[in-house]
Amino acid sequence: MADGFPVAFLFFAGAALLCILPKGNARALLLLAIPVIAGYIIWLLPEGNLWSTSIFELNLELMRVDRLSRIFALVFALAAFLGNLYAWHMRDMVQQVGTLLYAGSAIGAVFAGDLVTLFLYWEGTAIASVFLIWARRTEGAYHTGMRYLIVQIGSGVLLLAGTVLLWRETGSLVFESMTLGSLATWLIFIAFGIKCAFPLLHNWLQDAYPAATITGTVILSAFTTKLAVYALARGFAGTELLIYIGAVMALFPIFYAVIENDLRRVLVYSLNNQLGFMVVGIGVGTELALNGTVTHAFVHILYKALLLMSIGAVMFRTGTAKCSELGGLYKTMPLTMIFCVVGAASISAFPLFSGFVSKSLILSASVDEGYYIVWAMLLFASAGALLYSGIKIPYFAFFAQDSGLRPKEAPWNMLLAMGIAAFLSIAIGVYPAPLYAMLPYELDYVLYTTPHVVTQLQLLFFSALAFTVLQRTGIYPQGLRSINLDTDWTYRRLLPKIISAVGKPAARLWDAIVQFSLRRINNIISGLYRTHGPEGPIAKAWPTGSMVLWIAILLAATLLVSFIDLM
Amino acid sequence: MNDKKIVDDAENLPWLGRKLLWLDKKKNVDRIVYGLYFACAILFAADFMYKKYVLVAVESIPGFYGLYGFFMAIVLVLCAKVMRVFLMRPEDYYAPNDVESEDYPEDQLERLDNNG
Repeated sequence: MADGFPVAFLFFAGAALLCILPKGNARALLLLAIPVIAGYIIWLLPEGNLWSTSIFELNLELMRVDRLSRIFALVFALAAFLGNLYAWHMRDMVQQVGTLLYAGSAIGAVFAGDLVTLFLYWEGTAIASVFLIWARRTEGAYHTGMRYLIVQIGSGVLLLAGTVLLWRETGSLVFESMTLGSLATWLIFIAFGIKCAFPLLHNWLQDAYPAATITGTVILSAFTTKLAVYALARGFAGTELLIYIGAVMALFPIFYAVIENDLRRVLVYSLNNQLGFMVVGIGVGTELALNGTVTHAFVHILYKALLLMSIGAVMFRTGTAKCSELGGLYKTMPLTMIFCVVGAASISAFPLFSGFVSKSLILSASVDEGYYIVWAMLLFASAGALLYSGIKIPYFAFFAQDSGLRPKEAPWNMLLAMGIAAFLSIAIGVYPAPLYAMLPYELDYVLYTTPHVVTQLQLLFFSALAFTVLQRTGIYPQGLRSINLDTDWTYRRLLPKIISAVGKPAARLWDAIVQFSLRRINNIISGLYRTHGPEGPIAKAWPTGSMVLWIAILLAATLLVSFIDLM
Repeated sequence: MNDKKIVDDAENLPWLGRKLLWLDKKKNVDRIVYGLYFACAILFAADFMYKKYVLVAVESIPGFYGLYGFFMAIVLVLCAKVMRVFLMRPEDYYAPNDVESEDYPEDQLERLDNNG
């Protein structure tokens, strides 16, 4: 039993311990130690249900360990370590405690063997993570955090509703593979879909992540969405609907990413697009496809964190992450630039970089199963990924036109965190065998074949050529201080407008009804007063009448008391 | 945005930054672009050098991946430009101070007093 002690509790204990440690490096060290210890424990965990408990006659499985949950938990621990190293300089306890609770909840959720435990941790990630946004302490961040919290808690409520219905239907709470059909499974599916940023349910992601603190965005990028990917892979693998959702998801964010000005938001749009690849893999549902999804989640956490770290370092030194304000930073921040380029090459899936080892699996799986249109869409999304992420991010931040900014190189802890992430991104790209060995299923796949490398390089180089042509002819959209409308417009603009349009007449009508009723009631009261009041005609007989009544009541009471006494 | 060309004093730059200064010259950037053209030509030619294992019919078109990548990238950018016409709004569209940053970097560097 002691072997399977829930790893999440380690993070929660760490958060409590943090509060009594002196501020400074001791806390930062604890923040690094906990993910390392957790990673070590996770690595050694045997498979099976290791920790059961029951509350209100419900059997809860807090530690279901198998190959799928273990690899997600491992990469979460790794992401927590890198994020905390990146945030070594940070002395804000709200964020430190938030990070630990958030990472712990995410790891707890992937080990959850039943839906109630999943729900508890699901909400845990929502509540802990919002502090990484609020910690920015700006007006915009406060409101964004509120919107984020409403969406995240909403997802949790749907999950709970689905769980309750499923329990009534089947009498079981075990979190296992489900098929869409009943209301219960649909509710759970949508709850997962919100956190996974399905198209039209996606905009909380682009709204919230770029509003968080510099270190907070790095932490946020790793957990919530990948937890949802895990949940979908566990619960809905092979659901054909997911293929089409994923394909749309891989495509539409890239258009936004091209025109977005805030580089952190560009990266979050690209995060959404990468999630699309994973969702397609889950939808295809073959062993190859699921392996592809898990690999992609693993490497994606690393290179997305790397990219966000490099842009975060730029923001840390210059105060902005906007395309329109940046450029020419390569001279004074060369190391950050190189790490950013490694991240960019990884997300673009250049051979020898980590994205190549995972995207290839998903693309191959979709072709194998005959989804040619989806394959073509994913290919388009890959070409797009190079354009908006692979080139746009490093180009507009570090090259393009000279912004005149000459910031210092990033601090050592940021460089070290980026360096480790960059090293891992290349190492996995060059030698993916150890990662492939950890996957849920046996993988028999030859990655580096001549056609494979040549076709991928063609796709990427010709897309780069297109960028060059468009940039040199001035067609490529330049960074402008602006925002772009997305689905958040519906609840930030349309809904308030509808509410005020409907609300004003409704309020006026309500006022009129209230006024009318008050007048009626006043009339009745004054009418009664006129007849029954001290000056009214009825009042003339009042004192005698009431005296008779009271005597009658007293008499009755006396009779009653004597009657009881006689008994 | 500063329109004036800043001439950097190489002494003040980090070692790696000094090495990268050659990117400052337009001639060298042109060289990189020519290198890209050349690489594209080589990759296109490479398509004829190996035996293709075609899973999807379109893959048999010479240089399919290159052409697809090139044209789709252009389509992507043109569509995005059109989207900008309809969707772009000023930064304070939703609220004033909606996307404003806090005071960086001094504030973030010396954030000791925020420690609860």
